Amino acid sequence: MATRTDTERMGSVDWLSVALVLGGLLVVYYVAPLASLFLSASPGAVAGRLGESSVRSAATTSLLSASITTVVATAFGLPLAYWLARAETRWRTVVLGFVVLPLVLPPTVGGVVLLTVVGPNTLVGEWAAAAGVPLTRSLAGVVLAQTFVASPFVVVTAKAAFESVDETLEYASRSLGKGRWATARNVTLPLAGPGILAGVTLAFARSIGEFGATMMLSYYPRTMPVEIWVSFVSLGLDSAYPVAILLVAISVAALLVLNTVARNPWR
Amino acid sequence: MTLDLSALETSYADFDFGPVDLTVDREVLAVLGPSGSGKTTLLSLVAGITEPDSGSIALDSRELVGRPPEDRNVGIVFQEGALFPHMTARENVAYAGAGDNRVTELAGMLELDDVLDRQPPTLSGGERQRVALARTLAADPDALLLDEPLSSLDAPIRRRLRDELHDLFASLDVPILCVTHDQRTATALGDRVAIVRDGTVEQVGTPSAVLDRPANRFVARFTGNENLFEGHVVERTAEGARVRVGGAPLQAAESDAPGSGVPGSDPHESIAAGSTVTISVHPSRVELAAPDDATGTGKDAARANPLTGTVTRWLHEGTDYRVEVEVGDGVAFTTTVRPPTFDRLGVERGVELAVSVPPEAVHLIPRSAER
Repeated sequence: MATRTDTERMGSVDWLSVALVLGGLLVVYYVAPLASLFLSASPGAVAGRLGESSVRSAATTSLLSASITTVVATAFGLPLAYWLARAETRWRTVVLGFVVLPLVLPPTVGGVVLLTVVGPNTLVGEWAAAAGVPLTRSLAGVVLAQTFVASPFVVVTAKAAFESVDETLEYASRSLGKGRWATARNVTLPLAGPGILAGVTLAFARSIGEFGATMMLSYYPRTMPVEIWVSFVSLGLDSAYPVAILLVAISVAALLVLNTVARNPWR
Repeated sequence: MTLDLSALETSYADFDFGPVDLTVDREVLAVLGPSGSGKTTLLSLVAGITEPDSGSIALDSRELVGRPPEDRNVGIVFQEGALFPHMTARENVAYAGAGDNRVTELAGMLELDDVLDRQPPTLSGGERQRVALARTLAADPDALLLDEPLSSLDAPIRRRLRDELHDLFASLDVPILCVTHDQRTATALGDRVAIVRDGTVEQVGTPSAVLDRPANRFVARFTGNENLFEGHVVERTAEGARVRVGGAPLQAAESDAPGSGVPGSDPHESIAAGSTVTISVHPSRVELAAPDDATGTGKDAARANPLTGTVTRWLHEGTDYRVEVEVGDGVAFTTTVRPPTFDRLGVERGVELAVSVPPEAVHLIPRSAER
């Protein structure tokens, strides 16, 4: 009887509270450094660095490249996600494997891999440079690096969103005389909208924070993560703070904007 | 318009469908079968959601196999309606491109005026079904398919919508294929009923043919016929046959027209004297009377296979009673009794009653019909 009472008492432990304590530690671990970062630099110092042309140009490059990357990743990622969600072939799994590959590959390795294809001494690289669009040390290079690393977020998240749309609805639409494209536009896309936007948001956030592959492909023009790195190695941690704060601010703002847009996706 | 399915076959990992041959003219064919019998596969094939391995589906000699769903002009109403959740009922109905007038007309016909501006999640099950039907009809389909149109509804609404559908179907001029697992829905809505099992059609016939003259034990059981007995044919007579069930002699009238829906077989060929048959009597055709009534007040009761039996159990089923009466030698007839009769006879366990079974209600199923 004693044992049984013990187990019952054990069973009465409020596991939700335990979960909160354990998970709470993790949340503190996320928030504390961020708060500390904002306390590390005076508003004056941040404002001062913002005035510097190198920082301004890094912010411009980051926002511009991440926006282009997001558009490219969405334009190519959505069709792939739709195909992955609806195709009935064994190749699905293989293709999905390739899509996930950049997610598990270290970004610097991603950069190396890309250099073997678009680097200055490769066929593609030479041809593009001759055409006036160098694929390294250029905005195009930044976009290529970011797309490689960030676009899988669109594909994987949008695939899940497409899959969550009941196929019966698509068949209902098609039986009413609407073809696949009209059905995707009128039924599937609106219903998968919130999930797709989540993927797009993730891709944007990942792009703006991309460092490893970008470093390899395009040290110039500097994006903000590269600028932070340069400030850190050349001038020390203190001078990296303001740029880091700016990057955090831009990322959070981007998340807020996208989340607001995603709030009412059906209208 | 005629919908013609011939030698239609398809197979999944663990399910073989067909070969199925069915013809649906401007009528309602109710497809009745248990879950997993291939009913939904049948609809998917016609709608173009699934492609068959072989066979043909023709709509007025226009071959549908190989065409995508959007090119078939076959309307399908899915089980839960499959309404687009991000559109109002009106937008759903207008989806196929119907003009305002058509939408208004359909809404009036299906009593949807009050719900047109609501979102599907706020609609009741019956309303959802009617919006789905309106949406399908708005596309002016050449054939109409319905997948379990009433199964998700509560009983009173189901009955109402069933009546409405019956009238609506009569006004439509296209082949209608209505799939259900509910015998009442099938016989109420269907001009003909097809019983399916394991991907093949067991019997096609009018509702009364299927109910009263099931092709085999499966059909009998699935249409609520519990009175299935093993018996012997004593003698073939001009009017039919004399059979013996346990100790009880029964007269069976030759009411079975050859080919009561089973393709390629005349069941009576194998009903010879001395053969073993399954005897099937639908519970609604078995009559009970007071014991002293047995010799004949009214209704030719005397001639209708007079038997005597003891009530072994009864159940109140809402609209009527289901009473089991043992007539001897372990043979027990189940019969449905309307409440006034039930009260008048004072049915109770152990009560002795006269049982009469009209010869035309005694249906014989030859051994060869079973599989």
